[in-house]
Amino acid sequence: MRIPKAPLVLTMMILAIVVQTTLLGQVRSWAPDLVVLMVILFALTRIRAEFVLLIGFSSGLILDLIGTSLIGLRAVVYTTVAYAAMRTIHYAEIGRVTMGLWAGVLTFMALALVIVLGTLFGQTNVVGPDVGSRMIVIPLLNAGLAALSAPLFVRIVDRDTGIFGYS
Amino acid sequence: MTSPERYGRALPTLITLIVVGVMLMTFDVRSEGAGVMGVLRRGTQTLMAPLQKAASYAVSPVVNLLDSVTDVATLREENAALKRLVQDLTAEINASRDAQVRLDELEAIYGMTPTGVDIGRTVANVIGRVGATTDEALIIDKGTNHGIAVGQPVVDAQNYVVGSVASVTSSSATVIPILSSRQGMTVLVGQAEGTLLPQTGSDLMRLEIFGAREAVLRGSTVLTSSGSLRFPSGWLVGEVTEDVQPTVDVVTVPVRPFSTPATLRMVVVLAWPPDPITASTPPTTTTTTIPEDSSSTTLPEDTISTTTGGGG
Repeated sequence: MRIPKAPLVLTMMILAIVVQTTLLGQVRSWAPDLVVLMVILFALTRIRAEFVLLIGFSSGLILDLIGTSLIGLRAVVYTTVAYAAMRTIHYAEIGRVTMGLWAGVLTFMALALVIVLGTLFGQTNVVGPDVGSRMIVIPLLNAGLAALSAPLFVRIVDRDTGIFGYS
Repeated sequence: MTSPERYGRALPTLITLIVVGVMLMTFDVRSEGAGVMGVLRRGTQTLMAPLQKAASYAVSPVVNLLDSVTDVATLREENAALKRLVQDLTAEINASRDAQVRLDELEAIYGMTPTGVDIGRTVANVIGRVGATTDEALIIDKGTNHGIAVGQPVVDAQNYVVGSVASVTSSSATVIPILSSRQGMTVLVGQAEGTLLPQTGSDLMRLEIFGAREAVLRGSTVLTSSGSLRFPSGWLVGEVTEDVQPTVDVVTVPVRPFSTPATLRMVVVLAWPPDPITASTPPTTTTTTIPEDSSSTTLPEDTISTTTGGGG
């Protein structure tokens, strides 16, 4: 049975947000940023570019709304990351390790943008405790997760392996 | 996948979304979280709260298991430390019993009746966390239906100050820990009153005391002050982490908060101020009224007003 793509994408997005704010929120020392990872992985699928940007925007906006941060902050950041992911997708085609590094760099970019934009908009609370180590750990975790799960993720969404000749 | 057709309208879409996002940020800053932005936030939180509650219920055993595995090494030491603490506290309680009996007797002699206000407590489970990387906030499973209101102070099971309620829906609320809060809080170290502020990228807070005449010593307890409009007085906040000598103007003291929001599963929301009309006066102060016929009696000041707030 083929699952329609739009409900599948929506379910995955909501699931990522719920898991991020519950399970991963409680084991935060070594928790990846699942929502950013999801946005990056959607860039690997055959979903139209505009919709990938919309996915990034809406998932960021939902995170902004359920939290206390500035509304629109993560929406802008995740949209930018989605665009950067789509424009640099050729790095993901090289191999699993390169793709992991690519996802890690994009995650780092997302974290850095949240801090920079938040600071520019006067959000003094955007730099929390241990931000230095988190800026390293979270991209590394996302890199590992992306290398492991990207082919499966793309297969679930596109129903084929897409760009992955190495899956 | 990388065909040019895929990116046909990507750039205009990106620009549009960024403009919309920046406008949202601007509106949010301008409206300070009220108005349409506040309604949007509450609506989303109301929709997401049931999902988070269900997910939290499902993943709690997994989280507890992970916690148990990571904590097992420290449990023995913690147990020994707690035993010592129990002995110390038992001694303190015994000492304070004598003082309480004496106070009761004096109140009976002068016919005084306490008219203090007990702070109502609502226990809530932490069902979610957002902004674990940066601006952290806790989501709890109690809302306006349970008497929670914006601005109410939140403490943990040990009565350590956690933060305050930032937004509330009918069935959930968002708590900003003091470490992530943009607002400072008025606190007391010994006799000195100061302002406690979060520090960028640190799990320590910064206490600024104006005109401190004495050194602030490492290990000194930081309590909420009666001068605070956001917290009742006498609640434990943290401890000073290094000795600081007084200077000419402002003394800056590093403080480690007692509460660790990252590990909290449950919090207690305090119904404070109990009445917004009386919010301007410290409501945790138990005042004792003296009957008219004994008004000529001169009483020591500390028997007329007794601070009862603080549970730590």
